[in-house]
Amino acid sequence: MISCTEFIPAYNELFRFLHHCYGKESVVEFWHHLSDTFLDNLRRSIAEHGLKGCFIYWSRTLQEEAADFSMDLDEKKGVFRIIMNRCPSLGRLLESEFIEPYPDYCRHCDHLYRRIAESFGLEFDLTFDAKRAFCILEIRTCNY
Amino acid sequence: MKEVTQHLDGKGGEHLYLHKDFHGALCYAIKYLDETYGYEITHAYLRHVGETVYKPLIFEIKRRGLKALEDHLRRVFTLEGGEFELYWKEDHLQLEVKRCPAIEHLKRNNLYYTDRFCTSTIVVNETICRQSGCQAHCDVVPGSGRCVQTFRRMT
Repeated sequence: MISCTEFIPAYNELFRFLHHCYGKESVVEFWHHLSDTFLDNLRRSIAEHGLKGCFIYWSRTLQEEAADFSMDLDEKKGVFRIIMNRCPSLGRLLESEFIEPYPDYCRHCDHLYRRIAESFGLEFDLTFDAKRAFCILEIRTCNY
Repeated sequence: MKEVTQHLDGKGGEHLYLHKDFHGALCYAIKYLDETYGYEITHAYLRHVGETVYKPLIFEIKRRGLKALEDHLRRVFTLEGGEFELYWKEDHLQLEVKRCPAIEHLKRNNLYYTDRFCTSTIVVNETICRQSGCQAHCDVVPGSGRCVQTFRRMT
């Protein structure tokens, strides 16, 4: 069994493998597939709770991933924001002596989550500094 | 609707790193590779994982023998809360998985599951062992969450 604690390097190697064999576009196609299939729990959470569904979804996943983050929801302003001080996934890859992070690793969050947010008419922004495993993810209602 | 403001901080080390939904992501990845590129490409990817992700384990098995693999398997299955027996039988190491924590998580949470999921165990085990001068064999009862994995040094 590939432990869930070993998944991130295996995931990183899948991006590198696809890119090497079939080019960058094949990696993006895989991210879109994962967004449309695997992330149904995020989709259901937003469908049921609106912007608050983002807070509910990431409250669980980021704690299970032992992330160093700060997360805010302001339903009046229509803003959900995660400030990721140290991404638990990229952070692990950067610390590894034997794994080379996929150059566009951070883009997978953009592709996975943007599709879902925008399908609900929400605005999505992701800015990141891959060298520091730092990012800010913001999802807004359009009247923000 | 009642409008609310919520805030949550995470400090990394406060929680155990154990996000079992990642088993679901791996399951989808296997399904995607199978359906888009075919079984042989899925196997090539899993061999690549064996050679890269488990490089330190391969190094340790070369250095300490199958005791290093025993330590690895015990740590992983204990951490994930699997039901298993791990023991030495004559010259080989045997892992009897009675309740696979990955398959249990997928089924309990209605995440996608395919019998092809266990291919990841079979191919990765074979790759790690081939790279470290050992042999691996796995008998799986598909979908049951049970398997018997056997490891021995090549003579």
